[in-house]
Amino acid sequence: MSKLLIVIPAYNEEANIERVVNDLVTNYPQYDYVVVNDGSRDHTAAICRANGYRLIDLPVNLGLAGAFQTGLRYAAENGYDCAIQLDADGQHKPEYIAAMLEELEAGADIVIGSRFLTVKKPKTLRMLGSYIISWSIRLTTGRAICDPTSGMRLFNRAMVEEFAQNLNYGPEPDTISYLIKNGAVVKEVQVEMGERVAGQSYLTLYKSAQYMVKMSISILLIQWFRKRDTETPYPERSL
Amino acid sequence: MFDQTIIRVCLIIGSLVTAIYVLMRVRRAKVQIEDTIFWLLFSVVLLVLAIFPGIAYWASDLLGFQSPINFVYIVIIFLLLAKQFFLSIRISQMDSRLRILTEQVALDREKVEREKLDL
Repeated sequence: MSKLLIVIPAYNEEANIERVVNDLVTNYPQYDYVVVNDGSRDHTAAICRANGYRLIDLPVNLGLAGAFQTGLRYAAENGYDCAIQLDADGQHKPEYIAAMLEELEAGADIVIGSRFLTVKKPKTLRMLGSYIISWSIRLTTGRAICDPTSGMRLFNRAMVEEFAQNLNYGPEPDTISYLIKNGAVVKEVQVEMGERVAGQSYLTLYKSAQYMVKMSISILLIQWFRKRDTETPYPERSL
Repeated sequence: MFDQTIIRVCLIIGSLVTAIYVLMRVRRAKVQIEDTIFWLLFSVVLLVLAIFPGIAYWASDLLGFQSPINFVYIVIIFLLLAKQFFLSIRISQMDSRLRILTEQVALDREKVEREKLDL
């Protein structure tokens, strides 16, 4: 079995972090985890220290991309075979990790925990963004990704290293689209997600709209011009 | 009346050069994608104004400018000022992050040295 690291980026998650990590520790001791505290202004870091969780405490707020990249660098430096992003708000359920790992071991580079693989995507305003991004990826890569905005993504060792070392590798749909175009094998596994129990989401309405514009421009236009260079990835940043 | 053709050609060349240069930087992974979006939209605006000069004529009539080219200038100045404003906010945020980081490194180093002395 491959050695998995669960990366839990946490920003102001004092209300949820204990529940999420305790669940992992008691029910899934076979997986390693690390909490990346993204410069939270609340007691997230203090709670982690008090409970003795494995914690990387960023002194300033980097945003989700930076926090997740920190986790992946940790995975790369400590010899993990694969890494998964698990949100600190409890939306992502660890019970689906086993199925995702199977898919990864069957030869996928990235496995997305998808809410809409076998379940119909609801036609609501909230899902409009998801539809637009799915459609953009379909248009530019010819591949159907049912749940591109799902944050629950599992990466194999090669992807972990690539994400850890490079610029413009945020854990976002545009990176997925770019990697598909460059030959990465991306699979989806049906999962169920919970609702956020407490605390505030990263995304507000304004930020969602901004995110959509950025993702659409990035997927439809900018990704065409990127060059994938896995041999000499950004030498000044390499591990 | 300004010489429309030359200005339009300049605007088109300028916007295309901007877009190509920005995309080349993306290609070489020298810039973050979020930082390029402003410049791509900017070059689209210039391109649209150059290809459809009717917009500038209509807007300068509406706003009472003497010449449509003034409308083009106003648009460019406004966009660049807005960018300048957001850039200065970002610099200020980066300043404070850098300060916090430096302080953190120094504090951590002090802690390491103190622990060394204790041993």
